[in-house]
Amino acid sequence: MSGLADRVPVLEMAGISKRFDATQALRDVSLTLHPGEVHALVGENGAGKSTLIKIMTGIHPADEGTISVKGEQVTLRSSADAQRHGIAAIYQEPTIYPDLNVAENIFMSHRDQGVMVRWGRMYREAEAILARLDVHLDVRSLASGLSVAAQQAVEIAKAISLDVRVLIMDEPTAALSAHEVTQLFRQVRHLTASGVAVLFISHRLDEVFEIADRVTVLRDGRRISSRLRGEVTPQRAIQEMVGREMSEFFARTEHPRGGLAIRVSGIGRTGAFADVSFEVHQGEVLGLAGLVGAGRTDVALALFGIAPAESGSVELGGRPVVIRSPREALDHGIAYLSEDRRQLGLSLPQSLTANITLATLDRYVTRLRLVDSSAERAVADRFRRRLSIRTPSLEAPVERLSGGNQQKTMLAKWLNAEPTVLILDEPTRGIDVGAKAEVHHIIDELACSGMAIILISSDLPEVLAMSDRILVMREGRQVGMFGRSEATEEGIVTAAMGAA
Amino acid sequence: MSGTAAGPRERAAADRPRPKLRPERLRELSLVAVIGVSVLVFSQLVDNYLSGSFFNRVTTSMAITAVLAAAQTIVILTRNIDLSVGSIVGVTAYLTGEYLAAHQSTAPLLAVGLAMLLGCALGLVNGTLVAYGRVPSIIVTLGTLAIYRTWLIDHANSRTITADSLPQWLVEFPQRTVLSLGGLDIRLVLAVTVVVIVALQLALGRLRWGRWVYAVGSNPDAARQEGLPTELVTLGAFAACGALSGLAGFMFLSRFGTITVAAGQGLELASVAAAVVGGVSILGGSGTLIGALLGALLIDLLELSLVRVPEISVFWRDAVLGALILLAIAGDFAIGKRLRRFWTSPPRRRSPGTPEREATTDA
Repeated sequence: MSGLADRVPVLEMAGISKRFDATQALRDVSLTLHPGEVHALVGENGAGKSTLIKIMTGIHPADEGTISVKGEQVTLRSSADAQRHGIAAIYQEPTIYPDLNVAENIFMSHRDQGVMVRWGRMYREAEAILARLDVHLDVRSLASGLSVAAQQAVEIAKAISLDVRVLIMDEPTAALSAHEVTQLFRQVRHLTASGVAVLFISHRLDEVFEIADRVTVLRDGRRISSRLRGEVTPQRAIQEMVGREMSEFFARTEHPRGGLAIRVSGIGRTGAFADVSFEVHQGEVLGLAGLVGAGRTDVALALFGIAPAESGSVELGGRPVVIRSPREALDHGIAYLSEDRRQLGLSLPQSLTANITLATLDRYVTRLRLVDSSAERAVADRFRRRLSIRTPSLEAPVERLSGGNQQKTMLAKWLNAEPTVLILDEPTRGIDVGAKAEVHHIIDELACSGMAIILISSDLPEVLAMSDRILVMREGRQVGMFGRSEATEEGIVTAAMGAA
Repeated sequence: MSGTAAGPRERAAADRPRPKLRPERLRELSLVAVIGVSVLVFSQLVDNYLSGSFFNRVTTSMAITAVLAAAQTIVILTRNIDLSVGSIVGVTAYLTGEYLAAHQSTAPLLAVGLAMLLGCALGLVNGTLVAYGRVPSIIVTLGTLAIYRTWLIDHANSRTITADSLPQWLVEFPQRTVLSLGGLDIRLVLAVTVVVIVALQLALGRLRWGRWVYAVGSNPDAARQEGLPTELVTLGAFAACGALSGLAGFMFLSRFGTITVAAGQGLELASVAAAVVGGVSILGGSGTLIGALLGALLIDLLELSLVRVPEISVFWRDAVLGALILLAIAGDFAIGKRLRRFWTSPPRRRSPGTPEREATTDA
């Protein structure tokens, strides 16, 4: 792979900027991909990696900047446009046709065939492509029976069959075992050997440094650096990924720590997480840090009984409890604010009132088992004031509220259950700075009033600012516990990524 | 490009035994087994059960259900549903009958073409609303089910098409026999049904459009992302469904002769039932027309056999039929599972990895 520099770059993005409403997702980012190289793109959650990919694949248009393919400037208006220029992407979850066989999956998007399907030829060509990738698959078997690794191999084969020049791989290893990662990397090397440029996005720095020829770091929508692998170390990359001012964050008030609220001992669930232990006291905020997919949400789901733990034990206020359903969790005083407010957290077409009282509806029934709507409204109004939820009326459907107000509505729903332990999963994701500060303020108040809070957040400065202690998870394991005084961004990221 | 190690590996892949029967094909086989078992059981319960006339009754009755089940299957494969097929049968049967009563000398093929064209037009209305209007198919076709029927009632103005007003060839059509094997007569309607369904199955398997039908139903988002003409495929599926319903309408007309405004009512549910019994996934993307044909055969066989069991009262017949269908599906599932295990076990013994979980380093 010598002489990369003197070849024409296959893809050149220059001065790309992109804004979504209040957030500047990308600011003047440039990226150059050469044929035959593996180019790694690293950065924290929210650094702008996904936005950059979506611009490359024509899903979002850039506000500013130019994209050139093989030296010629192009406009990408759709994914079909990007495909035409030889740019394709493989995502964490492969997009396959489960009911069709492997060969059909590879060739489905081909447009140059005739009206008739020539099965024999298709099978032969599919076999030849898979053989080139060193992959063993029965081209006649249905895609639904394939492992994620095999599905990814099918997607790579599809890319080859389409003569892709740039292949974007977004967290392709997230769902793979170590052995499968080795397989995948071999397939990637087959690709680059034939001149394809691979843009490799991964949170696992060890993998990045194993496969990449060049590493580009993004932070807060800006390109921080772009260097050959030999010129950068994992430590340096981490420093560049996290270096950020903390000023925008809410400084927490000190509050006294009360009695033990919850003790979790060695809980685990096969395939999700194992051997997690911690305790949270009244008035304490425990931060749960780690990369997306590290198993933090799985721990929350276990404590809330949605996907109960299979091993270990949980004690609440000193008494052992078994939680098998959300109903039982609520009865024990545990509430969980989901990270996915649109899908799981709120009933969007329903009113603010209905959403706030939904989980605790039993309290508002009259003797005739009818819902007492005036009592409901009174409660909703109290929360509207207390959390300053801005809504046209108590009857307005929550889908009309802003993200921050939706978040506060969800918070109201669970606060109304009067929990002793409140689990917050990404409570400030996707809401603007002002609403974020308000949510932080609410969290602080709740802790002061003696509630035990578990805060899951991918926003490191937020975790650092809000938590008394921080538990770090990586790949389903607990890998570190930091006290408030000893926690630093670098320390946490290092633990979360497993880079020494 | 880099031909590394492709040679030996390719050979290794070719060496692996490649069974002709794949698990997804076994669905039809196990359905055939269930049909066979049903015939055996009823032949023990009913005297003179196995006779040429009963064979004729089942096959002519099944023909209409089977064509409609095939029509429904094409739409279900795209992850949609067409509840208006019964109304399309009614409208096409009535209008074709009306036309033939007025034009006695019309050529038979022209009459069939007329019915299919009419059905196709009604199907296009459904398809346009679903594909381009982006209205869920269950709502669109529930609406057109009522609209087509109401239009027919208004148009008919309480007149009924009677057999004596129809051309002679049409009234005799159900009795036309193409082939006699021993005591069994193969009726023309059965032959037409089987030929149409086999031809369409070949088209679904061999034409690019056919594979698109499966792809769109299997993963609509992926299909759109890959730039497949998903709207056209959906529209085409509804048009084909309409045309086949028109064919079924013609068969309905010839079989009963007497057509009221209620003709074909309830056939939409029979068509969905036959398709599902025949192994077509209601979620789209999976299933065959041959399966739908067998599903139609099983349902009509059970229905007509029950009539001949005197112990079962008329009032209970529907409930027993429903229970038998559930039993048949359960039996089919059990047999299918056995067959699948039988099919997958030999290669599993030969190599440690099952054929599905591949991407391994062996060889």
